[in-house]
Order: sequence, then structure tokens, then C-alpha cells
Amino acid sequence: MKKYLFILAFLAVNLSNVAQADPAYESAMKSQIQAMNEITDAQASAEVANAFLRIAEANSNEWLPLYYAALTKIEGAFRFDVNKDQEFDSAIELIQEASEISPNNSELTALHGYALMGKLSLDPVSRGQSMSPQVMQLFGLAINQDRENPRAVTLMAQMELGMAEFFGSGPQKACGMARIALDLYKSESAKIDESYIHPTWGVETAEELAKRCQ
Amino acid sequence: MKLRVILFFYFFLSQFLAFGQTILKGRVLDEQGKGLPGVNIYIKGSYDGTTSGTEGDFSFQTTQEGIQILAIRMMGFKSQEQNITCDGGELQLEDFKLVELITEMNGVTISAGAMEASDEKKSVILRPLDIVTTPSAMGDIVGALQTLPGTSTVGNDGRLFVRGGDASEVGIYIDGMRVGNAYGTTAGNVPTRTRFNPNLFKGTFFSTGGYSAEYGQALSSALALNTKDLSVRKQGDLSLMSVGGGYSQTWASEKQSLTLSGNYFDLGPYQQIIPQDFDFERAPFGWDLEVAAQKKLKNGGLWKVLARTESGGMKLWDVQPGSENRGTLIDLTNRYSYAQTNWKKAGKSGWTWFAGAAISSNLDEVDFDTLQTERDNKLAHLKASAVKDFSDRISMKIGVEHFIHRYAEGLPQINQERDFLDNQSFLYTEWDWYLSRKLVLRGGLRAGKSSLNSEEWLDPRFSLAYQLSPKGQLSLAAGKFSQLPVETYRVLTQDLKNTESNHLILNYLWQSEGITFRAEAFYKSYQGLIRFDGTVQNPENLRNEGEGFARGLDFFFRDQKSIKNTDYWITYSFVDSKRSFEQFASRVQPGFAPRHNFSVVVKHFVAPLKSQLGASFSFNDGYAYTDPNFPGEMNRKTPGFQNLSLSWSYLPKPNLIIHAGVTNVLGRENVFGYDFAGEPNSQGIYESRAIGQAAPRFLFLGIFLTLSQDKNANQLNNL
Repeated sequence: MKKYLFILAFLAVNLSNVAQADPAYESAMKSQIQAMNEITDAQASAEVANAFLRIAEANSNEWLPLYYAALTKIEGAFRFDVNKDQEFDSAIELIQEASEISPNNSELTALHGYALMGKLSLDPVSRGQSMSPQVMQLFGLAINQDRENPRAVTLMAQMELGMAEFFGSGPQKACGMARIALDLYKSESAKIDESYIHPTWGVETAEELAKRCQ
Repeated sequence: MKLRVILFFYFFLSQFLAFGQTILKGRVLDEQGKGLPGVNIYIKGSYDGTTSGTEGDFSFQTTQEGIQILAIRMMGFKSQEQNITCDGGELQLEDFKLVELITEMNGVTISAGAMEASDEKKSVILRPLDIVTTPSAMGDIVGALQTLPGTSTVGNDGRLFVRGGDASEVGIYIDGMRVGNAYGTTAGNVPTRTRFNPNLFKGTFFSTGGYSAEYGQALSSALALNTKDLSVRKQGDLSLMSVGGGYSQTWASEKQSLTLSGNYFDLGPYQQIIPQDFDFERAPFGWDLEVAAQKKLKNGGLWKVLARTESGGMKLWDVQPGSENRGTLIDLTNRYSYAQTNWKKAGKSGWTWFAGAAISSNLDEVDFDTLQTERDNKLAHLKASAVKDFSDRISMKIGVEHFIHRYAEGLPQINQERDFLDNQSFLYTEWDWYLSRKLVLRGGLRAGKSSLNSEEWLDPRFSLAYQLSPKGQLSLAAGKFSQLPVETYRVLTQDLKNTESNHLILNYLWQSEGITFRAEAFYKSYQGLIRFDGTVQNPENLRNEGEGFARGLDFFFRDQKSIKNTDYWITYSFVDSKRSFEQFASRVQPGFAPRHNFSVVVKHFVAPLKSQLGASFSFNDGYAYTDPNFPGEMNRKTPGFQNLSLSWSYLPKPNLIIHAGVTNVLGRENVFGYDFAGEPNSQGIYESRAIGQAAPRFLFLGIFLTLSQDKNANQLNNL
């Protein structure tokens, strides 16, 4: 009997290890998120993406490290002279891996749309027809999965603005969305504290988009 | 109390295992021995690791102790793992050499004979969108391919003619399944079109020779069309054209989508406004209904269905040369149905599976004045295939196919009919072997068997590609290709054997961002072509006696970047072909194989006008024909063919396209050959009539409107 109690206790401790925030994981994530915000070149981008991948491998039930690895690759592909198509593709693979850990996750869906938007931007003339509905669908789905997700709304606004520019229609719709996104960022900022490692990026983009309407 | 001890160590050690520090140093190199930056190097299961620097060097500290696994990972390279012992101090590791994985993106691809239209892959020649927007094509897939190297335009036929081969030598496939009667039936030199709408397809693979063992029963060319995957949104597409209209509705969910469409066309009203040189009693007309469905299966497979039924016809007076009256009234009615389903799944451990079934049925009723004739052609195709990637270097394809082909033709008024039923079976295999990223070899074998003529045959094929420079590559392809004679001959002489062709192709391809240059030289031999006595209308004594050759060169240049918002391509093909076939007593240049073929396509996007303007110009040096007033066969050549076409696509809104086009703007009177009277007139001269165009120009105006409830946008407005 005693033996079983021990085993139970053993299991309970193990479980609480999972449920409780793992301080090593959290501090590793925080320091990499910090590093991510300070990336200035392709090498630094690769370093941060690799570091997130290491954290992902050591914490195979966490979706956030994969999310950030993908985000780093996407931002890197937009900013630096790298094999862009390949980076976007590998980001999408990581997002799909993360989606298996955390299905129906609005942040992952929005990021998937963002990566696809990157691919679209490389060859809009021939990819636009097939990809822009896919991108719109992903952003729409991300908004549906979590109506409080400001990134989904910001990205959708960005896409709307691109379409409006191409077809010469006004930016009103995109601006409206950007304003909604700014409100959502405001309520999100209330949640952010020392230990917050969930995505918070995108407020600058929303501000820029909103400016266009003035 | 052993358990208690274990648990103590578990709790204790899991928290406080680390005390010593080991410094790991090393270098990661690529296959050439150059330093590889950006590689992820780490101790498995820990956060300890680093990324290699610009020279491939790395160094990091770890608090892990004892035997650990060091992982070395880089996207696009084969991962490595190594056991290391961390016992404090500095550990200098031997250089790691990472081997690059050969992928579709970085490996050389075989480009001999091949031209691909795709959004995804590299070494593509065209994008799917290019097919729709080529001015001379008027939305016809084959029309767009006629601006590519190796093809010739035969304006009174409309089908695809490749490198001195006739139109029946091109095999057309949808998702790997053969399409019987892919072109609309026509009569009296009215050109035909492909039955299938280019919007159905996401990619096109067009080969002008030396193609994969997967394709058979085609001497000259394989045209493989791949249908789109799942649609993403519900939408309706309305088209209103100067020659008809149609509507298509798509329903989509995450797992499946369905598109239903219907079209009607009638050239009658158009021909009332624009007079025609052909004497139509009833202008060409037709309708079609189509369903396309896609479903993602639970196990990761994709299942597709495509079915189509259509009917059409025309009535036309076929005037006899030298005759004053209207001639013979040809009354054509066509009924056509095609259905196919296929299933594809990427399985575990490098296997990909495919299975498909297709059936086509074509019924032509052609009346010549009061004489009724009927042709009934049915083709069923079953196919199963598998691809296995043994590694990134070796892959294998195997497949088995079965065809059931039934053909009947007859004169219903006197109850006369002749027919045949043929069962054909095929087995094929093809192996790709990458010796390096720069060199790939491909070997294939295709075995076939026909029940009707009890023939068995084996076609070996071989090709290779070698990367000469980062942008240039050389490909070579050779092989044997077999094709059973066309049904109208087989029904007369059922034991006719295969016609055969051997191909040898050398190809050079140079591609950089926005610029493609392609040069290809080829030699083809023909054996066992069908010859007969009598006339084409009434062949007798058919036999596999003909032979011949086709040789030539072609060039293709495309530039999408030098001139802003402009994309153009230039094609020149030279074909020297002679063959003894059909009723010809000697080796002649076929009437469908002009020697010099040239075309230019230019598209320019004008942003302020939201318009794409297009122009295409085609030229060839004329078609050979036999003038019975002179000795010999194929003793004359028509004047050169020229066609300048213009188009204007206007996109005022994201969901609206207005398209206007006109072919042969200059109104050149192209002649494709001559009909001669069967007997000489009183002066001893065979009178002739030029085979020309139905009208000097064809004008087209269309409005294409997409109606979609943009759910995403609506949802946003309600936020």
C-alpha cells in the first residue's frame, strides 16, 4: 500500500512539474525573446531561431518556442538577404508542428497566414490569384479562433491595405481594422507582466496602418 | 526501501544535477570544406548550444556532465549526432562535415523535352496564369502552348502538332489519367479547341519528347494537366462573352470543396454581325456541364472527382473545287462525356500512392447531305502507381495501367457497322538517381500489351541532367515510344501493329531571376507508320510500312525583368521532317510540319489603367501540299502563315475582369492548303480551292465577374 502511495506521490510531483511554470524554460524563453527584439543581421536572426529550436526540442509539449522560431524566420526573410522562399517554407513547417501541440491556436493560424503572405509578396503577379484567398482565409480563421488577437486583425488590415492599393480603392476598411487592432493591443498590454512570454508584437505596424487614415 | 532511495535521487538530482562546466569547440564545414554558418549545435535535451559563425566555427559552455549527445542541425542538410563526454574543461571536437540534402529546389532537374507551367516548382517555363492571358490563345490551353518551342500552328485544325508529328501523336492527361477525345469534334476545316477550361488546372507539364515512362501511347508529346486542390472559399463566377456565357458555383469548407459549372456558346449572333468566309448553315454551338470535387481524407489523402458532359454541333456547306453550287451539307452533332476520379496519399517512409479511374465517351453523328454516319469512341483507363524515395538520392516510380478501348463506326441508314474492342495493359517503372546535386540519371522501362493485335512491346527510356554552372544546365534524353494506330485505321485492319518512334534530345537551359533561355536539338525516327492505297477518305490495304524522321532545333527566350511591368517571350523552331505515310508513295514533308516557326508574345501591365495589354505574333514559312497539276507529291508550299493578335484585360475591381481580344489584326489571308477537284476540267486542269480561315479576324469580348461573400471581411466589420 505504502508503495502505491509513493508512486502516486511520484506521479503527482511529475505532473505538477508540467503544470507549474518551469523557471528554466521561462527564463530561457525570456532571454531569447529579448534577443529576438534586438536582431540586426541575418546571423543574429539564425542564432535566435536556432536557440528557440533548442528550447522547443527540450520542451516537446510547448508550442511557444516553435512559434517564436517561425516568427524569427519570417521576420528574417522579410528583412535580410536570405533564401526567402526556403525560410518561409521552413517557418510554415514549424507552425504545423506547433499546431499539433496546440490545435486551433489563433496565434499560430495568424502566423501561418503571415508566412504565406511573405511567400505571396515574392511573386505577387503569379501567386496572388491562388494565395491571397488562402491568406485571407487564415487571417479570418485566426480572428474567429480568438477575437481578442490583435495580430490577426493587424495582419488582415495589412492585407486589405495591399489589396486596396493594388486596385486603387480607398484604405478606409484597412484603417478601421487597424483601429480595432490598436484597441485590442491596449487591452493586451494590461496582461503583460514580468513573466509574460506569449506573443505581444505588432503594435507598431497597427499604429502605422492607422496613421494612413489621418 | 529501495524505492525510497530511487525517489530521493530522482527529486534531488533532477533539480541539482549540474555543477561542472565543459567548453565545446569545433567547426562545421560543407561538402566543399568551406565553413558553414547558421548551423544549430547543441546538447540534446538541454538548452545548451549555439549557432556556428560565418566561418562555421562554434564554441559554447555546457553544464551537462557525462556522456551526452551533441546534435548538429541545419535546414537543408543531413543532421548529425555524436556522443561526447563532458567532464569539465575544454573539449576540442573534430570538424563536422554536413552533407546537403538534395531537394526539388536545389537538385538539378531533367529539362530535355520538358516545359512546365507551375507556381511552385523551379525550371518552369510558364505560369498557369500565362496560359489564360496569351492573346492568340483566346483562353485555350493548346492555343497558348502553340507559342512554345517545338510546336507548329495548323490554323485549320487547332490541335497541337509537335515536331513533325501529327496531332494524334500527342497524349493528353488530366491528373495522370488519359483523356480520350480531348478536343471538340469539328468538320470542314473549322479549327477545334481543347474541351477543358484552363481555370481547372494548377499546373501544366508539356513535353515535346523524351518523356517519362509513365506516359505511353504517344509518339511525339505528352501533355499532363494537373487539377487544382481544395478551393478555399465559396464563390460564384459569372462569365458573359460575345459568343456565350456561363456560371460556376463553388462551395468550400476546410475539408472539401465542390464546383458546379455550366456554359453555353453559340457563334450564331456573332456570325450575323461579322460575315464569315465559310458557308455555315448553322453556326457552331454547344453547352457543357461540369462538376469538380476535392476532399481531404482523414488519413491525409486527397480525393478528387472531375466529370463533364457536353453537346454541340454545326452545319456547314462544303463546296467542291470548281463547282458553282453550295456543295455538300455537313451536319455535325457531338455528344461527349468524361469522368475521372483519383486518390493520392503521401504515406510513411517515403511512399506516395496514387490510384485513378477515368472514362470518356464520344459520339459523333455526321450527315453528308442525306448520308448519315456515326462514330462512337469509348476509352476507359485504370491506373495505380507508387513512388518510393529510398533517400534524397534514389527514388523509384512503378505503375500498372489498363485501358479498355471500344470504337464503332457505321452507316445507321443501312444498318452497317464495324467496330473493335481492345484491352491494353501496361507496366512501367522509372528510377531517378542523383549522383550529386549536379548530376541526375533517370532510367525507365514501359511494357505494353494489346489484345486486339496480340502484340507485346517494351519501351526503354533514359535521360540525364548535368548542372554546368549555377544558372545553366545540360540535359540529354533518349528513348523508344510506341503508339497503336488511330482508331479509324484499326477498325479497318484490326491487326495493325504499333507505330514507333525513337527520340534523341539535347537540351541546354539557362535560368536566372526573370530570364529563361532554352535551346534544344532533337532527332526522331519513325517506324511502322500506317500507309494505305486509295484516298484519305477511303483508305484500303492498310499496313505498317511507313517510316521517316524529324530533326531540328528550337530556341526560347523569356524576359520578365528588363523592361518594367513587361513580360515577353520569343520562340523559334526549325523542323526538318520527311515521312512516307498515308497515301504518299514517297517520303514527303507532311502538310502539318512547316519548317520555320516563329512566335513572340508580349504582355505589359499598365498600372494607372489597371490593365494588361498583350500582343502575340506567329509566323511560319508555309504548309506543303500536293498540286496534281504538277508532277510529284507535296510539290508546292502555301504562302507563309502570319497572325498578329492583340488583347486587353481590364481589372477595375478585384472581382471583375473585362477582356477584349482580336486575332489576326492585320487581316492576313492565311492559307493552310488547297482542295483539288477529283477530275481535271475541260482544259485538263485540276481546279482548286484554298483552305483558309473562317473569317480574317476573330473578335472576342468577355466580362468575368466573381461573386463571393467575403466572409472574412464581413466578420471584421462586425467586430
